[in-house]
Amino acid sequence: MVSQGKLDAAMVPEDKPEAAIAERHLARLRAARPSGGPALGYVCSYVPEEIPLAAGLHPIRLGARPGVTGLADGVLQSFACAFARALLDDLLGGSAEGLSAVVFAYTCDSLRAVFEIWRNRAPSGSRVHFLNLPCRLTGPGVREYTASEFRRLAEALSHLPGARAVTPERLAGASAALAAFDGVVRRLDDLRRRRPDLLPGSAFLAVSREALSLERETAVQLLDALAREIEMAAAQPPPSRPDRVRVVVSGGFLETEHVLRLIEESGAHVVGDDLCLGGRGRAGAGSLSGRGAPAGPVGSGPSERGGADSEDEAFLVLADRYLGRVNCPCKHPPEGRFEAVERLAAESGADGVVFLLQKFCDPHAFDFPDLRRRLESSGRPVLLLEVERGVVPEGQARTRLEAFIERLRGVRA
Amino acid sequence: MTSAYPECLPDRRLEADRRLKGLIVRHYLEAHRAKGLVGRRPVVWVTSGAPVEILLALGFLPVYPENYGALCASRKRAVPYCEEAERAGFSQDLCAYARANLGSMLLGRGELAGRPLPPPDLLVACKNICAVVVKWWEVTARHFGCPVYIVDTPFAVDGLTPEQVAYVKAQLEDLVTFASRAVRRRPPRRPAFERRLLGVLELSRQAVSLWNDIQALRRVSPTPVSALDMFTNLFPIVTLRGTRACVDYYRTVRDELEARVREGVAAVPGERYRLIWDNIAVWYDFDLVRYLHARGAAFVGETYTDAWGAYDPSDTDESDPLGSLARMYSLILLNVGLPTRRERLFRMVREQRATGVVFHSCRSCKTYSLGQYELAREVREELGLPTLVIEADMADPRAFAAGPTRTRIDAFVELLAAQPLGV
Repeated sequence: MVSQGKLDAAMVPEDKPEAAIAERHLARLRAARPSGGPALGYVCSYVPEEIPLAAGLHPIRLGARPGVTGLADGVLQSFACAFARALLDDLLGGSAEGLSAVVFAYTCDSLRAVFEIWRNRAPSGSRVHFLNLPCRLTGPGVREYTASEFRRLAEALSHLPGARAVTPERLAGASAALAAFDGVVRRLDDLRRRRPDLLPGSAFLAVSREALSLERETAVQLLDALAREIEMAAAQPPPSRPDRVRVVVSGGFLETEHVLRLIEESGAHVVGDDLCLGGRGRAGAGSLSGRGAPAGPVGSGPSERGGADSEDEAFLVLADRYLGRVNCPCKHPPEGRFEAVERLAAESGADGVVFLLQKFCDPHAFDFPDLRRRLESSGRPVLLLEVERGVVPEGQARTRLEAFIERLRGVRA
Repeated sequence: MTSAYPECLPDRRLEADRRLKGLIVRHYLEAHRAKGLVGRRPVVWVTSGAPVEILLALGFLPVYPENYGALCASRKRAVPYCEEAERAGFSQDLCAYARANLGSMLLGRGELAGRPLPPPDLLVACKNICAVVVKWWEVTARHFGCPVYIVDTPFAVDGLTPEQVAYVKAQLEDLVTFASRAVRRRPPRRPAFERRLLGVLELSRQAVSLWNDIQALRRVSPTPVSALDMFTNLFPIVTLRGTRACVDYYRTVRDELEARVREGVAAVPGERYRLIWDNIAVWYDFDLVRYLHARGAAFVGETYTDAWGAYDPSDTDESDPLGSLARMYSLILLNVGLPTRRERLFRMVREQRATGVVFHSCRSCKTYSLGQYELAREVREELGLPTLVIEADMADPRAFAAGPTRTRIDAFVELLAAQPLGV
């Protein structure tokens, strides 16, 4: 059984001691605590952290935990995904206590329902905001509408206790802090791709997740220390492991690193990801580049449209940034993500792709058959694993993974 | 196949049903003929919540894959098509309408005299009914290499903001140009197009008005029509809205129901309980409803059929019809927040004098179903009425167990019988 709480020895038995670097740094990240300032919970990577940061709030991505649920089961049917169920279960169990507010974004039908049910059930005095984002990324009015929603969020947050008004200058400062964070995550992503023996994919996801709960400046310092140590270790050539194949993973929100460790234990390096909390959701990490790539920091200088000095322009630039990132399957048109996944697989030198499909996740499930066809036609075999509560049935998954990895070795040979 | 229910009351179906069958056959024949060499008319596949009046005014012939899914399901023929989609890699957890359509599309055969839906010249989906249709239409567009337009109607959480209306209106204006160019036509001149659009909207208004009259006739006891006739009679208001045939048909239905009311003809003889149905029909198991009929329970309203009463263009601003359509299509049942859905449901319970509510928790339809437990609780606590939640699916019988459902119906009927409000 693979443990879920820590990067244990089972994770990297054959690549020790180098991979233990990540384990030490993960412990440091876990020991660091965010400051006692007001915190804001948010759901979905399309909520711009720039806005709460500019409002003086500490953004915390609300995820979902593995394990059983209870409270949510009485109000949400069995065909809502485990992510939605666990998120609602946690909220009903009090996870929003101590948060200034919870921000939902329009994502899919299930998360819309979680917002609705939570709003219906939240204790009086709870604050909840729905960031009513478009599903379209292009087309008439989409940019202006997105900017209007960002502005509405900024206004709502600025009235929270302990918060301040969101100005273009503060957005610029927040944007710079996030660019620094993304920069160090990109360095780590690059190291994961080049030297997965030193920074396994499971460890990359674990440190990325932990870092998100910290103040961005603290997180940058700690991740930078990890990156520097791995860069030093990377001066030594990697051990010769020709039998280890390289895979990238694609899917939604992954509650734990459990499946990635199974993949690694089965004989593959996870060298890239298109996950909500990983490469895609981080919007800026690695090949799935996003934040910082198409537009500069908000309010920091002239944009294509003549600068972000005014408040209106600042929100429009922010809209451009989020509309231009690698898209979630909930967004239309889908081609950007299809191309990004193909590019990620190619640039990572992946031998194959493992899809981690959250059971009952409609957007990913609709994309899968065509995305599989495209990847396979470029010579990359694909494996689909159905994930629920962050885990897969281990024995069956291990057998399938071993067979898949054997196949990849055959293709490589 | 023998019924899972020991007693089912035979239907007292409407005379108009015979005409309805003709309408359905003619519609699909025309759709296939439109793709022929003679009299070619561009075919657009639309969702049930799409602003079809725009496409009719542009000369398109709209067909509705959701209706086709219901047609497959009501013939108990959805499963082979669903299985074909599953063979192609689509999860069994996806919407059964989508799977039935994708399977039929991939097989190249279907339930229309052996044929699938005619291939589209254009695909238009409106997100107001769910996010699933966006993905479904994307898959279809890739399959046919066909242009697709997604009308994005942001969720009307607590009504609409001016920015939302402006965003949707901008898309509707764009759709006029996009749809024209998709079939290599010059976009119409605005005044001429708006004149045609207003003409179509007037036909929609008349049909919706008749539809609402029909719903109002169900306020009497005994109700002249129950759920099965209403479900099947959805076809014209969904598929032919904006046409003269639709108006003419509902005039016939209304007249027949008025006659039934005058003569005291009950849809369910010995009506004792008056129920509301929430969610899509269980198309492959109408015996479920007949079993309730046999226990004296008649359906006097369905949120599903009532939803089309909201496609009412009466308030259209003639100087800004697209702005009016942007508002109307953003405020349909599945795009509004739970408090508004509750308000509409409660109003229906009061107006139709219902004594219980049946919720179909439909595995395929997350937008409609998730949140129903909250509504059911509020019906019990605030209105004091018994509720029944049926776990099923609208098209895929593999997600439904009739036996346990029958047991739950029996228990529900006991609760109804214990109600002081029983009619």
